[in-house]
Amino acid sequence: MTLRYALLAAMLALTLSACASRQALFTVMPNPDGSAGAVTVDDGQKSMMLDWPWAAGEIVKGSARPVAMDQAQVDQIFGAALAARPILPSHFRLYFESDTDTLTPDSETKYKSVFEDIRQRKVYEVEVVGHTDTAGDLKYNQTLSLARANFIREKLVQDGLDRKSISVAGRGPLDPRVKTGPDVHEQMNRRVEITVR
Amino acid sequence: MTPSKTHPVVKAAMIVVGAVLLWSAQARADNPRIAQIKTAAGQVTIVRGGGNVAAKVGDFLYEKDVIQTGGDGSVGLTFTDNTAMSAGPDSEIALSEYRFDSSNFNGAMLTDMRRGTLAMVSGDIARSTPGAMRVKTPTAILGVRGTRFVVWVK
Repeated sequence: MTLRYALLAAMLALTLSACASRQALFTVMPNPDGSAGAVTVDDGQKSMMLDWPWAAGEIVKGSARPVAMDQAQVDQIFGAALAARPILPSHFRLYFESDTDTLTPDSETKYKSVFEDIRQRKVYEVEVVGHTDTAGDLKYNQTLSLARANFIREKLVQDGLDRKSISVAGRGPLDPRVKTGPDVHEQMNRRVEITVR
Repeated sequence: MTPSKTHPVVKAAMIVVGAVLLWSAQARADNPRIAQIKTAAGQVTIVRGGGNVAAKVGDFLYEKDVIQTGGDGSVGLTFTDNTAMSAGPDSEIALSEYRFDSSNFNGAMLTDMRRGTLAMVSGDIARSTPGAMRVKTPTAILGVRGTRFVVWVK
C-alpha cells in the first residue's frame, strides 16, 4: 500500500470517528424568503447562537461547537423528517359590509382561496374569529362579530367541509386592526380572521 | 322507608361517583388538545399515561404525550400555536410542556427530543415571547427565536 492510500485511509477513519462521536446536531434552515431566525444552543457550560441560513452546531463529548452544514447534508440526514412536514398553517382575512354579515365583493372572491386551502388538507382545524368596528354599542357588536364568524362557518359547511373541525368566536370591537376612537366606521376592522392548519 | 328517601350507602356512593365525574371533567379541562397529527407513515406510536396507542392522521395530542417512530416511521403534526413539527424514523419526542393562549399568543413550549430526527417551523409562541420555545436534548437545550430548524440526536 502506498503512502497516499494510507493517508486517505487515516483521513477517512478520522472523519468517521468525528461523526461517530457526535451526540447531537442542530441546523437553522432558511425561510422561504431566504432569511433565517435564530436558535441558541446551551450545553450547560456555554451558549452558542446560530442565526443565519444553514448555521449549524454539534455536540461532541458534551460540548457544543460550530460545524459546517449545507442543504445537501441536511437533506441526507433529515430527508424523512422534512418529507413528513405537514402543510404549514395559513391565515386569511375577509371583510364585511357595514353592520352586516355580508362579505364585500373582494372578500367574496377571496373566500374561494380559503375554501381551496382547507380542501387540499387531509385533516384540518379551522379557527374563525369575527370582529367589528367601534360604531354601535359593545353588546351589539359582540353579537355581530360572532354572527360574521358563524356566517363563514355555515358557508364552509354548505360547501362540504366538516363542522366539527371549524371553531368560531366573536371579539366585537376589542381587537381592531386599525385603532380608532369610539363610534367610528372602519372597513379594516369589519372582518373575520381565519386560521387554517 | 318512603320511596323518596335515599339509603345512606347509596347517598355515599352518589357522592363518590359525583366526585369522580367532577375530577375527570377537571382533568379534561386541565389537559386540552395541543396538537393534531397531519401526516403519518410506517410505525408511529403515542405513549400516553403508561399505555401505547398506534397513531393515525387526525389524532389529537396532549401535553406529556410521547411520540415514537419505528425504523420505517415518520410523523408530522401542527400545534394550536401553529408550530409545525415532524420526525423521521427511530425517533422519540416527548411533548413535555405546552401552554398557549390564542387570545394574546402567550405561552410556553418545551419539547424533549430524546433520539432521532426532528424538523420544526416555529409558530406564535416563539414569535410572541422570545425564549418561550425550547427544545431539550440529552446534551443541550435550544432556545428558539422564530425560525425553521432541524435537530438530530444520537
